Amino acid sequence: MKKTHIIAIVVIAILLGVIVSTISDSSTYASFSTAIDNQGDTYHVVGKLNREKDFIYNPAQNANVFGFYLIDNEGKEMKVLYNDTKPQDFEKSEQVVVIGKVVEGEFRVAKGDLLMKCPSKYNGNQGPQGEFVRVPQS
Amino acid sequence: MDIAYVGEQLIWGKLGNTLLSLAFVGALLGAVAYYLGFKRPDEEKQWKLIARSAFILHGLSIIGIFAVLYYLIFNHRFEYYYVWQHSSTEMPMRYIFASFWEGQEGSFLLWTFWHVVLGAIFLRKGGSWEGPVMVTVCLVQVFLVSMVLGVYVLGHKIGTNPFTLLRNHPDMANLPFVQFPDYLQRIEDGRGLNPLLQNYWMVIHPPVLFLGFASTLIPFAFAMGGMMTKRYREWTTQATPWSFFGVMILGTGILMGGAWAYEALSFGGFWAWDPVENASLVPWMTFVGAAHVMVIHKKNGTTLLSSFILTVLTFILILYSTFLTRSGILGDTSVHSFTDLGMTGQLVIYMAFFTIMAIWLWFRNRHAFVTTEKDDHLYSREFWMFIGMLVLLIAGLQITFTTSIPVINKVFGTKMAPPADVIGHYNAWQIPFAIIICILIGFAQFLKYKSTQAGDFWKRIAVSGIASIVISAVAAYNIQFDRVQYILLLFAGMFALLANLDYAIRFLKGKLDHTGGSVTHIGMALILVGALISNGKQEVISKNLLNVDLGKDFPNDENIMLHQGDTLQMSKYFISYTGKEREGVNVFYNIEYFKPNFEKGTLEPAFTLRPRIQLNPRMGNVAEPSTRHFIDRDIYTHITYADMESLEKPEGAGEYHEAKIDTIQAGDTIATSNSLVAFKFKGISVDVDRKALGLEENDIAVAAKLEIMDVNNKVREFNPLFIIRGQRIFSKETIVEDLGLKIAFINIDPNNGNAIISIAEKKENKREFIIMKAIIFPYINVLWIGCILLIIGSMMAVRKRFRDLRRQKKDQLPA
Repeated sequence: MKKTHIIAIVVIAILLGVIVSTISDSSTYASFSTAIDNQGDTYHVVGKLNREKDFIYNPAQNANVFGFYLIDNEGKEMKVLYNDTKPQDFEKSEQVVVIGKVVEGEFRVAKGDLLMKCPSKYNGNQGPQGEFVRVPQS
Repeated sequence: MDIAYVGEQLIWGKLGNTLLSLAFVGALLGAVAYYLGFKRPDEEKQWKLIARSAFILHGLSIIGIFAVLYYLIFNHRFEYYYVWQHSSTEMPMRYIFASFWEGQEGSFLLWTFWHVVLGAIFLRKGGSWEGPVMVTVCLVQVFLVSMVLGVYVLGHKIGTNPFTLLRNHPDMANLPFVQFPDYLQRIEDGRGLNPLLQNYWMVIHPPVLFLGFASTLIPFAFAMGGMMTKRYREWTTQATPWSFFGVMILGTGILMGGAWAYEALSFGGFWAWDPVENASLVPWMTFVGAAHVMVIHKKNGTTLLSSFILTVLTFILILYSTFLTRSGILGDTSVHSFTDLGMTGQLVIYMAFFTIMAIWLWFRNRHAFVTTEKDDHLYSREFWMFIGMLVLLIAGLQITFTTSIPVINKVFGTKMAPPADVIGHYNAWQIPFAIIICILIGFAQFLKYKSTQAGDFWKRIAVSGIASIVISAVAAYNIQFDRVQYILLLFAGMFALLANLDYAIRFLKGKLDHTGGSVTHIGMALILVGALISNGKQEVISKNLLNVDLGKDFPNDENIMLHQGDTLQMSKYFISYTGKEREGVNVFYNIEYFKPNFEKGTLEPAFTLRPRIQLNPRMGNVAEPSTRHFIDRDIYTHITYADMESLEKPEGAGEYHEAKIDTIQAGDTIATSNSLVAFKFKGISVDVDRKALGLEENDIAVAAKLEIMDVNNKVREFNPLFIIRGQRIFSKETIVEDLGLKIAFINIDPNNGNAIISIAEKKENKREFIIMKAIIFPYINVLWIGCILLIIGSMMAVRKRFRDLRRQKKDQLPA
């Protein structure tokens, strides 16, 4: 076998690995019900803030946990615990994407895995429309 | 009914649009005339004259557009939407300058401007390559100018026009205020440059990056021209120095982006694998590949097809990155992409046109790419260089594939979401690739082209090989690296560094002309090693000690809460938050760092950091870090939470909780509910200044001697009074403002002399506080030194390649 052939085979193998790993690493957009049914698996959930309920943030006790209630696109509400400080201007966001999993009845999100969309700030002549902003990781 | 608007200067917009049309027509005519010029040799002179005139017209129009748009920006002509959207009267000059390229229209113009500059060089120095190269340059300009035309063709909007009037802009046209004839007088100010971008990097990063983008066009144009004029091999010789030039500029642009992110954005690092960052990194990787395979081709005549593919791929990937960042498709995965201006279709056509053009030209000339069926020698430089380029290509494809998940979803209708742990996903692939690349850039140059004696080779690399094993083993032990991947990368980087140093000194004898490659490779190795150590060993020192354990997946000890005036220990420092100051859009938080002096038992001021929060109505408030640089490490501090509301309305005084009543005897200590203060009751005194208190003759006044110790162990004494006048009892409250306490001595137990004290705490006893995070990045200067060496080294290489090209031309001239 010639060297070129060996190289070609190796290259193809790596590229297959790339594709497989990307697909297996990738998570899926889902609803809270799916996440509850598959506890421990990571999902992207898109939802709206429930403004009726207060945020849970008590920096004196633990500055690294921020809780809120999110209603997903199917209308199911769930308590979300975000493992970081309360993002700036969080209350202004209309739509939120959280990446995390269900543990003990709460949807837990690691730091940096929260995206906010603030149409109020971006709509109309205010420039970018409905842009998601990844919350800077602290 | 037409409204007679007051105060508008419409002439500039008309001039600008005329210039836009001229630029478009000039580019189109240039492309056609240049093509006919070399297709019809007998009419070449005439066509060339037309083509040159057309390109000059195009170039002058682009410069004219710049001038007009800058005129409008500098004069704050807010009747133009672009000017209103991106500039304001309050901005300092340098940001007014930079606001030009904040929007898509301006950045497209910046890009076309660089193409004009590069094209002008070929007008003067192109020689027989002028026509073949300029055809593609002009074609690209046709597409780019169309992005800013803003005309409707058959109901489709082509491009967005920078000279659109505010009152005609779709977002504004229906608003009532633009119906007033004097609407312009009603506009107070423009929106200005997004505060987030008000940073000096915004002035220099985009021009450099777009010059990098533009520089990918020249090798591509050479490849296309080579096919069109059937100079299948010569084009690589011509394109080589330009490829190295592009690698240098694009690399500089990307590194500047990283430096900007590290310095001004609070992503906590240099590189975050953000889709927009990736979108320019991948073409750089293929560009590096293209430049290197061209060198191989020059030496032994192989890798012609690879040169072609990588050159084309680089250019197409730049277009793809433009598509990713400007079509809005990244929307929910990226921090800083542009918004959708409805140009997705146009961008796809742009990309498709040049892809098809390249494939078609390859197909027409595929016979030229047939290579001899010979295998490279295992001990040859070109074999391993080629492997290196393959690794770069695969690494680039891996990044592209993951970055393209939103595109894949769109095309195939899937619902994949990007990996939950993005950084982990990329690192898992890219660290092994980086290890291989480092080893290759270490040893490949010790091999000769064609073939090398195996024994010689091993003898030559033994020195750096052994030295790097020893050094990296010691280093890995000292900095306690425990992951195999990290240790291997440390070794590989060290090997690349030492081998190139060794090669430059022993074999090139330090000849400056030839060491460009070695310096660049050393720079690359330092960047990787610096990134590895500073990230792999970064230490979050702002540990939160009041932990609520949420399990190992949810570490919650990275932020620290700091009350104003408190001093807390953080790693080997003591820090204190001393207050905030507002300056323009920024609120600065002063964090004093102290070092304990154990001999004297005191704290000595070390330095002050001023992280800030930028009040940004457009993007939401943004925290910007402040970093203290040391030679061997950086201390990076930023605010992760601060109560911004209290900034506007200072907390109302006087709201207190219900008082807590304690009976205490002398010597007792009591604490307040939030345990911020401890009281020590030292007894009762009748020694009071009766006159000052305005007491009457028969009043009985007793003071409680209370010592208050706050968290800083600062002790103060307060003497709340208890007064009996006739039948009535008064107690005079003592307010300790900074601790938010109201203390009153309300009674004495006559039996045992104990005091009854009431302590009221301010509601939510909220003293001003911040939550901050501090990270130590060790040896991050290694990374910066690497960046500088990479840039200097590639400059040296570019200089050498251009010199080689000139020398070659001279040789070819008949004596």
